[in-house]
Amino acid sequence: MQEVATVATGPEPQRTEGPPRRSKAENRIRALFNQENIATMVVALIIGIAVILPLIALFINSFLVLDDSGWDTEWGFDNYLLMVTDRIIPKAFVNTILISSGSTVLATFLGVSLAWINARTNCPGRDFLEPYNLIPFFLSPFVGAIAWHNLAAPKTGLLNNWAQDYLGFETHILNVDNLWGVIWVTGIFFAPLVYLFVVGSLRRMDPSLEDSARTTGAGLFKTTMTVTLPLVMPGILSGAIIVFVTSAGEFGVPFKLSAPYGWETLTTQIFSKAVGDDANHYLGAAMSMALGIITVVLIWIQQRYIAPRSFTTVTGKGFRPNVLDLGSWKWVAFGYNVLYILVAVVLPILSLLVVSLHPVWEATIQPAQMSFINYEKTLFFWREDSIQAATNGIFNSLILALVGATLSMVLAIVVSYMIHRTKGPMTRLIDFLCVVPIGFPGIVLAMGVLVTYIQTPIYATLWILLLGYVTRFFPYGQRNVSSIMLAISEELDQSSRMSGASWFTTLKRITIPLLKPGIFAGWVLLFIIFLRELSISIILYTTGTETLSVGVYYLSNFENEPLTAALSMAQTIVLLAAIFLFRRVAGKEALTA
Amino acid sequence: MTSASGKAMVEIDRLIKRFGPETAVDNFNISISEGEFVTLLGPSGCGKTTTLRCIIGLERPDQGEIRVGGTPVVSAEKDIYLFPEDRDLGMVFQSYAVWPHMTVFDNVAYGLKIRKVSGKELKQRTMRALELVDLAHLADRYATKLSGGQRQRVALARAIVYEPKVILFDEPLSNLDAKLRELMRDEIVRLQKEVGITSVYVTHDQSEALVMSDRIVVMDKAVIQQIGDPETIYSHPANSFVANFIGVTSLLEGKLIQRNGDVCEMEVSDGASGFTVKALGGEGASAGDRLVLSLRPEDVTLHLSKPDDHSLVNLIEGQVIDTIYLGSFMEGRIKAGQNEIGIQINHYENLTPGQTVYLSFAPEHGLCLTQ
Repeated sequence: MQEVATVATGPEPQRTEGPPRRSKAENRIRALFNQENIATMVVALIIGIAVILPLIALFINSFLVLDDSGWDTEWGFDNYLLMVTDRIIPKAFVNTILISSGSTVLATFLGVSLAWINARTNCPGRDFLEPYNLIPFFLSPFVGAIAWHNLAAPKTGLLNNWAQDYLGFETHILNVDNLWGVIWVTGIFFAPLVYLFVVGSLRRMDPSLEDSARTTGAGLFKTTMTVTLPLVMPGILSGAIIVFVTSAGEFGVPFKLSAPYGWETLTTQIFSKAVGDDANHYLGAAMSMALGIITVVLIWIQQRYIAPRSFTTVTGKGFRPNVLDLGSWKWVAFGYNVLYILVAVVLPILSLLVVSLHPVWEATIQPAQMSFINYEKTLFFWREDSIQAATNGIFNSLILALVGATLSMVLAIVVSYMIHRTKGPMTRLIDFLCVVPIGFPGIVLAMGVLVTYIQTPIYATLWILLLGYVTRFFPYGQRNVSSIMLAISEELDQSSRMSGASWFTTLKRITIPLLKPGIFAGWVLLFIIFLRELSISIILYTTGTETLSVGVYYLSNFENEPLTAALSMAQTIVLLAAIFLFRRVAGKEALTA
Repeated sequence: MTSASGKAMVEIDRLIKRFGPETAVDNFNISISEGEFVTLLGPSGCGKTTTLRCIIGLERPDQGEIRVGGTPVVSAEKDIYLFPEDRDLGMVFQSYAVWPHMTVFDNVAYGLKIRKVSGKELKQRTMRALELVDLAHLADRYATKLSGGQRQRVALARAIVYEPKVILFDEPLSNLDAKLRELMRDEIVRLQKEVGITSVYVTHDQSEALVMSDRIVVMDKAVIQQIGDPETIYSHPANSFVANFIGVTSLLEGKLIQRNGDVCEMEVSDGASGFTVKALGGEGASAGDRLVLSLRPEDVTLHLSKPDDHSLVNLIEGQVIDTIYLGSFMEGRIKAGQNEIGIQINHYENLTPGQTVYLSFAPEHGLCLTQ
């Protein structure tokens, strides 16, 4: 630079073009209020209100105690006290812990073993089986509970009847109408969560990590115990914690299988105490606080201590992972995997189909009686005898899923962009706000939303449901977008800015087109989640704003099994179609979020 | 260079390994003496790593036998196969494969613990191995906190700590940057001489092979092309592949006119006509056979005008294509008819593209090779 200055001896260079001169203060203000910063602040504010307000309201309301008249409230700890002294709530608390622990053990065992079989053994048909292992992840556990009730209820279960008719058993052999049933259904439905956390690190692990243990003198078993297992342990623990938290917040399964038979859980208690004729929102808020504290602490541990410990075991070299030759045991592994798909996907769907075709279900298959009357009653909204809760649910859920997924993804894109591409003052706050909703079960967040907005006009409309959905689930979309955004070089954006495009033009022309596959995958994922959503909807719905799952709940509770099965089946078919679409769009690898 | 004693440590007989229809290693034979440092050298996919993995036991050969210290560790014919952990060998992997969930100390101590070494002896031997690779001060650190070079030292210490019969290296330096690679290369050589351990080293880097090895095995397309000490490999390559792969060389095609003792008279084809050169090599070829003349750049003399000295044989006329600055010297490319010859030139020689120059080389510096 200096050399140039001494060489250029001509007249003072004239500034013909360039930025206009401004004062320092003006520059500073302009810097603060550029497009980018304004957008960041606005988004931080919106997310802040959406996420934090319900939690604050929940906290405050949990200290409001309803007096005997049921009209006035005063401050106090009575709600919390009641959780210890109540006849049912302490038991519900214990049951929640039992169910979560049990389903965590089952899901972890299933998830890890299936992931290992698929990633590391020569089990036949692995490529074919893998997508089916993941299907339960997308289906509704509530519908799974309904299906398993049809299969293995003590008196009316199909499997029980067959066992008595064909195998000569005296009484029923299976009974899912208890805590074990809840553990069974949540366990098999949440196994893919663990699977997804483990399979990637198993599959992409540098094989020389294990090879070097072998060459150093460790046998296969010793290598597995001292190298392979410790390396995937963070993934296993993360998966296990997520399963525990998800099970603790699961409403549909215990509501269907255990609550009617005397085993209440925190979620079913929140529902029955906070919603209904003698509703006590304040007690519901206190119970939600208790559940939320458990889950948020666990998620915090996972995010803070376990996720960062995951080992980078991937190398650039494109080696295939070590595949273990199981010999003839490979057919045992194959059978095991097929059995999982059978109990988690095939049997439940078949049972729904069978039951839904009978006008009256008497626990035996009667081909002569079969008709589509149940589908007509639940789906054909123009019929006079159609059931409103069901037909409303279809419309409402489709609207909520379409609008909610779109809105969530818009938010997800903007938020991801802010976290990864800007260094505004609000960036870290936004990053934090995106993790918070993941820490709370849907039913807890829904209680917060309920107590916050119950006296506003949005209560009893679809808007409050939309607000609950987006607040709780947009972080999922945000993770989807963020992971891709991290993989795309920031220089691509910067080149656009350098070429003179504004921040918004860059977002529109460069960033979003590059993110398109991730955005669409995230959209379909949220569409699926919203279409089957129950635990938020059950708290926030009113007559007229039922959702699909609420419709199923209504039919299950107030109508009969065949009608329930028909609507469940309809929901399952839409979900399966969405899963198919998701796989087409996102491919195999997009599921690791 | 030879710390090797006569006793054979690794013997490989008629080794064949196939992957489906592909033959990865075809009829590999060698006997490696105790203390010897042997390098398997070749382009990627030549079968060198597969051979190494057969020795350690990570691959099972389709045919042949491998003996370590006289006892067979694998024999396809006798149906013998020892697992890697039962062969008492050590291996250093390309990706270091240092376990991220253990400290440096635990990584190195692993092999000793497996061998039921414990207490004071465990600590002593582990620390001694760490001192050998200059990492004793990092013993308590987690492997994830180490640089690439340090990780490779951990891998090295881990492989030698239990004093295996043989240590195998699978391109251990290829993930390191140039400076570090040289440093580690010298380190490994020093360590190998110090410990006196038999070593088999796989690399695609010819300079590594030349500097480190007692003997080099050049491989291409699953087949051994030549086995020899570095000097022989460099100055007497067995064929044009070896000549081209080791060092820089110009290859000129032609055919044999006649042989006089050691000297071949060869006609280098040059489109329609050609020119005659005298060079060594061409063993076993008869008049009319196709040969390739290999010329090392440093063996070619440059003349800016036609030399008067009529005693110069092998005088070639050509035009400068271009010159490349390579720091300590320059390289020039000369077009001689159809052929292109690389030469080493000094900085002060100013060549302009298109300029006519003359090249000469002594008959003992040219080598006629079979293709």
